[in-house]
Amino acid sequence: MAVVPRVVITGVGPLSSIGIGKEKFWKNILDKKTNIKLEEFSIDDEIWDKYYLHKLEDFDINSFGIEKDKLDDIAEWKEGEKIRDLEYLIASIKLALDDSKIDYRKEDNKIGLVLAHENLGLMPFGLKVSNISYELLIGKKQSEMSKKVFFEKLYKSFIKSGYDVQSFANLFHVARVFNVHEYSLFINNACASGLYAIEVASEIIKNRQAEKVVVAASDFPDIYKYVWFRDLGIYSKDGILRPFSSDANGFVFGDGGAAIVMENIESARKRGAEIYAEYLGGGFDLEGWKITVPQIGGKSYQGAIKKAFDHSGTGKEEIDLLCPHGVGSKPIDYYEANAITDTFGKNLKRPFITTFKPYVGHNLGSSALLETVILLLALRNNTVPPTLNSNNTDPRNNISLVQEKIETKLKTVMKITGAFAGFNSAAIFRKTN
Amino acid sequence: MAEDISQEVTELIANVIGKNASELKPDTNFWNDLGIDSIKAIEITVAIERRFKVRIRDEQIPKISTVGEAAEVVKQALEKKPK
Repeated sequence: MAVVPRVVITGVGPLSSIGIGKEKFWKNILDKKTNIKLEEFSIDDEIWDKYYLHKLEDFDINSFGIEKDKLDDIAEWKEGEKIRDLEYLIASIKLALDDSKIDYRKEDNKIGLVLAHENLGLMPFGLKVSNISYELLIGKKQSEMSKKVFFEKLYKSFIKSGYDVQSFANLFHVARVFNVHEYSLFINNACASGLYAIEVASEIIKNRQAEKVVVAASDFPDIYKYVWFRDLGIYSKDGILRPFSSDANGFVFGDGGAAIVMENIESARKRGAEIYAEYLGGGFDLEGWKITVPQIGGKSYQGAIKKAFDHSGTGKEEIDLLCPHGVGSKPIDYYEANAITDTFGKNLKRPFITTFKPYVGHNLGSSALLETVILLLALRNNTVPPTLNSNNTDPRNNISLVQEKIETKLKTVMKITGAFAGFNSAAIFRKTN
Repeated sequence: MAEDISQEVTELIANVIGKNASELKPDTNFWNDLGIDSIKAIEITVAIERRFKVRIRDEQIPKISTVGEAAEVVKQALEKKPK
């Protein structure tokens, strides 16, 4: 019987409001730095709305050492339109591949690819449709045009952006930049996308469909996403994300993305790669109650965590550090805290529990992956960063968050995410010898 | 029938928040009079859905602000259910 390979992580590529690349990113986490800005969005000269977000600034896709002809091909396809989140995917993958010291430039590089994103290209699509529809419907041309002509014009005007909302084209663009010819996939499981992507990548390697798989996710938090969250009443008005707090008043978006390189351990060892951790396994449960509201009192999240223990052969007492979703919305945090305390017990000192959204904001479809990168850096550095803005934990949550940086030997860590639509997920990573 | 539903919804809300149903009137306000927050609102929704086998839409949950409105949402949902 064929041996199922073990899967390890050999490269990380964080891209966030507090740093591009792991060195600056990790240093700024240890220095408790944030970069929160008030974003103002205008239509012509009229302000639509303002919202706080953790903003990624000074980003230039041309500064990552990616072949210019590949970027030019994408620019040509996009007819000059810059898709910020697509650029984030490409940049974070380049960072992760450089970190793993994998030469992707050879066509026969045996790399697979799993991308995760919530709504790639939705904003330019929506804006274009809105602008053109406005022009055509309200503008002078209205009376000169039959309905058929109008539909034809509208179709021709937005069809290219419309195609690009489909994820396969973006999978194509990113794969082509990095000469990926092995198994590739695009997934969307809301905020849990990163953990689902890690699990899928692990399966691809275990099934020997690819030796190495790059997992990447990104999110550019545009006005459309903000308006949705604002209208749900779960967006912070003061721009301070307070996980599990009595003062929690909602999400604050985070701009950026992340990538990791996952690899068959034999291949990693053969090429002398530095290994961050082994991916021991994950657990996934789809609550399926409502899209935007968790079922308080339900046991789906607990089920996902239990499945992660079962699939990885790990006991809860082995977890040194736990990183929850911690979005700073009272009902979502309470739901998550219940899953944690049902699993581990109430107000325990171990595992250490810390959350990272106060540093980088809520990076939506990429949040689980970006926070997994921080978790892997914490594991490598035997350091637990504290949860910022957490000095007033809601007593109903019954959890103790790390308040000050802890330096301690870490071996096994867990990331959990309870996403919209009830995509509950958990993933366990362990240092290799 | 409608009165029965109102009474049952009132008792169910009272049970979730640990109060006596006689303290609750149709115009009793969730947030101001009963101190119900977003967590309790979801717990009430879960209880209503289980009891009446109906579905309340996500965006309706924060909009229900009185005991009477909760009963009305249940009545409307029951009317929509296939007989």
